[in-house]
Amino acid sequence: MNRTIVMLLARQCWKNAFHTRAIYSILVVMLLVMGYAAYSGWKAYTQQNSMREHYQRAARASWEENPDKHPHRMAHFGTFAFRIKHPLSVFDVGLESFTGNAVFLEAHKQNTINFSEASFSTGLLRFGEISLAMLLQILLPLIIVFLGFSTIAADRENGTLKILLTQGAGWREILAGKSLGLFALALLVVVPAFAVTILLLAAAGAPFTADLAGRLAATVLVYVVFLAVVCMVTVAISAGSASSKGALMKLLGWWLLLAVLLPRTSQALGSYFYPAPARVAFDAAIEEDVLRQGDSHNPDDPHYKHLRDSVLRVHGVDSVEHLPFNYSGFVMREGERISAEIYQQHVQQLTHLYDKQNSLTTATALVNPFTAIRNLSMALAGTDAEAYQVFQDEAEAYRYALAQKMNALQMELISNRKPGPKDVPLAIPHDHWKKVPDFKSQPVALGTSLRGVWFSALALLLWCAAACGWLGRISQTLKAL
Amino acid sequence: MYTLLIKQFIRSRITVGALLLLFVLGLVSILIGNQFLAQQEQRIAQVTEHQRAHRERNVAAHDEMGLLLYYLKFALISPPDRLSALSIGQRDVNPGIQSVTIRTLEGQKYDTDLTNPVQLHAGNLDLGFVILYLFPLVIIAFTFNIFSEDHETGTWKAIAVQARSAVRFLLARLFVRALFVYGLLLALLLTAAAIVSIPWNEAFLGFVVLSILYTAFWFALAFWLALFKKSSGFNVLTLLAVWVVLTILLPASVNNLVATLHPVPEALSTLLKQRDGYHKKWDEDKQVTLARFYAQYPQLEKYGMPEETFSWGWYYAMQQQGDEAARADSQALREKMRRRDETSRAFARVIPTLHTQLYYNDLAQTSLTDYMRLLDSATVFHEQTRLYFYPRIFENAPVKSEDWQRWTPAYLSPRQTVHWAPLALPLVAIILLLLGGTWIRSRKLYFGE
Repeated sequence: MNRTIVMLLARQCWKNAFHTRAIYSILVVMLLVMGYAAYSGWKAYTQQNSMREHYQRAARASWEENPDKHPHRMAHFGTFAFRIKHPLSVFDVGLESFTGNAVFLEAHKQNTINFSEASFSTGLLRFGEISLAMLLQILLPLIIVFLGFSTIAADRENGTLKILLTQGAGWREILAGKSLGLFALALLVVVPAFAVTILLLAAAGAPFTADLAGRLAATVLVYVVFLAVVCMVTVAISAGSASSKGALMKLLGWWLLLAVLLPRTSQALGSYFYPAPARVAFDAAIEEDVLRQGDSHNPDDPHYKHLRDSVLRVHGVDSVEHLPFNYSGFVMREGERISAEIYQQHVQQLTHLYDKQNSLTTATALVNPFTAIRNLSMALAGTDAEAYQVFQDEAEAYRYALAQKMNALQMELISNRKPGPKDVPLAIPHDHWKKVPDFKSQPVALGTSLRGVWFSALALLLWCAAACGWLGRISQTLKAL
Repeated sequence: MYTLLIKQFIRSRITVGALLLLFVLGLVSILIGNQFLAQQEQRIAQVTEHQRAHRERNVAAHDEMGLLLYYLKFALISPPDRLSALSIGQRDVNPGIQSVTIRTLEGQKYDTDLTNPVQLHAGNLDLGFVILYLFPLVIIAFTFNIFSEDHETGTWKAIAVQARSAVRFLLARLFVRALFVYGLLLALLLTAAAIVSIPWNEAFLGFVVLSILYTAFWFALAFWLALFKKSSGFNVLTLLAVWVVLTILLPASVNNLVATLHPVPEALSTLLKQRDGYHKKWDEDKQVTLARFYAQYPQLEKYGMPEETFSWGWYYAMQQQGDEAARADSQALREKMRRRDETSRAFARVIPTLHTQLYYNDLAQTSLTDYMRLLDSATVFHEQTRLYFYPRIFENAPVKSEDWQRWTPAYLSPRQTVHWAPLALPLVAIILLLLGGTWIRSRKLYFGE
């Protein structure tokens, strides 16, 4: 391949694009929309996080100002976990609007994570959200199609192609040059998109860690590969079409099918074939399993009766009142352990079911680079299902630790003798409350994010290889007429 | 002439393929909607059954009225309209069932159902989506070259010479295309009505009329553009750009605007206040709590101030204070939701896609308005249930004295959803505007050639 010719053709493709007036209006509109997307991503990030951090602090302050009381009262007083948005959500909002934002953490009970943005939405959210990532994934490919559909087909129609070929440019040079030129045009949108992302990250005061740098670099890389694929496909289809109109129709069909139709259809079918349970059925199943293990509230329950007998035997006493620790705290510790374990099993089953629902869409990444880039992008932005799972796990782990800490305090510090109906309730000093660490969510680690998207990464690489191979193959067989 | 036009139209492979694809996707969407409806109904059956089983177990296990009511759940169900199968709307995110105990309501009423966020993100493939997104695409594919193709292939001159009126010929061509598109639309709507067994009521008629008007808007737009005599490539790109703007860019931008314009920190403050409002009462003077409670419900004042350290009357008074503490924030939250709805509707009046989607949801009773209505009804329902049980708790009435069997879920009655003028007018106005533009262009077509 002659490099000079490739560069020459790339430059010519670039210059040609600027000969039409349309490109100026397209670029202006695209940059304006990008500006709005960036602003709204940044606004949502700063607004939501300052709100959530504020109430996280308020919840903590309220927890700490509790007076002396029974630790089990505090276990029910509980606290809240508010989900913090990842800084890169300014670039790709991912699933953020569909995931819950706040959850009440108390003993015995795993509450639902409520107040997702979607639950306050008027129905418009179903049209999608505007974000820099969405523009690069959906709109930019359409612009590439628009700029590139006629790149070779028009040359063929007006006879330029014959001249090019007779003047020493080979098919390989033409295909490579046009792809490169088209890609350079795409960079006119990509470069500002990432520049503004970095600016907004700085403006939002996101700590610039190695993790964040890695995410950014990987995001740039996957978009470059994705857009290269789009450019190569555009050029290949343009080269293979007899007329530019035919090329346009094929490319528009390709875009519509892959960017709009397939993702929604595959996800809808996935959910159709693997219906998920409703909360009422989910909760009932957990309740049933817990009751099967033993009902800690029932004095005649065999599991807890056996537990009591063996504890009494070990300590050589005949009644729970003579035990060296608070027995009901001990029972609640056991109950919490059992119910949390059962809950986790059910959650795992549910997650597994959701994975199945999503599996069809994930599998289509192999034939759909638009799905591959979408999954990769939101994983790298820390706004995918994996990141939400991390928050859910953290919240549950904190809830469990808090409940068990209160049970431990009860076992240790609360008397075994029950107060009478008119006695002062049992309590422990309030300085214990401050000693319990606050809930602090850690942003999802890059490694965790990547684990879920290896398939999409592979699919994108395969697409890139296939597109290169396709261009290579048609360069052998293409005709100028 | 029509027979020939029809023959010419359906001879194209693309035509048949597009119609077939649309029909298949329409069918799939109807099946998905039907499954959704079945799941909603299954949920109602599960809640009803769970309420019964849960109640029976707890009634058998507890002999104190106050303790029993700590556990018992009472469901208020907003049964899904059959039309919700065609426009799932917000109903997948916001559950149509409130299953609550008589404790603090604000801590329970926002509980969500289990959802797969990836599924919600991809969006539902309901018939509403097929009509909103895919019908315009097919209309574009059928009409973008309705005029330009003859220019490009050189047949226009022959037609202009032979046809009595050029515009009338083009209209005939458009008519043939509309015949197929509307035939398909009605076929899908009738199939949906049959599969989902939608009753032939005013709401369904509203759905049909709205669908016809919405597709008419696209026909009018495409025809108006065709008369500008641009190339096929220009037409298809322009129409597709309009489609992208109307179905993707504008709605998404309006959505982001609504979300950032009206953020809802009230949701989080409600959450905190209801908890503190109840829990901190444990450390406060019982007399004060009960006095406040009695001020709210003077009819209960006769139960006086208990002397025991703990009494169930006091316990539920504390719980009620949780709702009381969060009342202002909860109302502010409601007001924010109402304002979001208002802003969206204001934009929708001039954006046909938004208008159609919001009205589909209204007709199917799957909109935010319907969710807010359920939340409001839950507040009333909760208070009625509480007020029924409060005296029995204070008197510690024997558990057996109550006829528990009658505590089956309560149902919300459907609402009147069809308001013809706001439903039709925005679309009719835009269509008339486009037809006016077409008429002006068509005159130029005569004299300008």
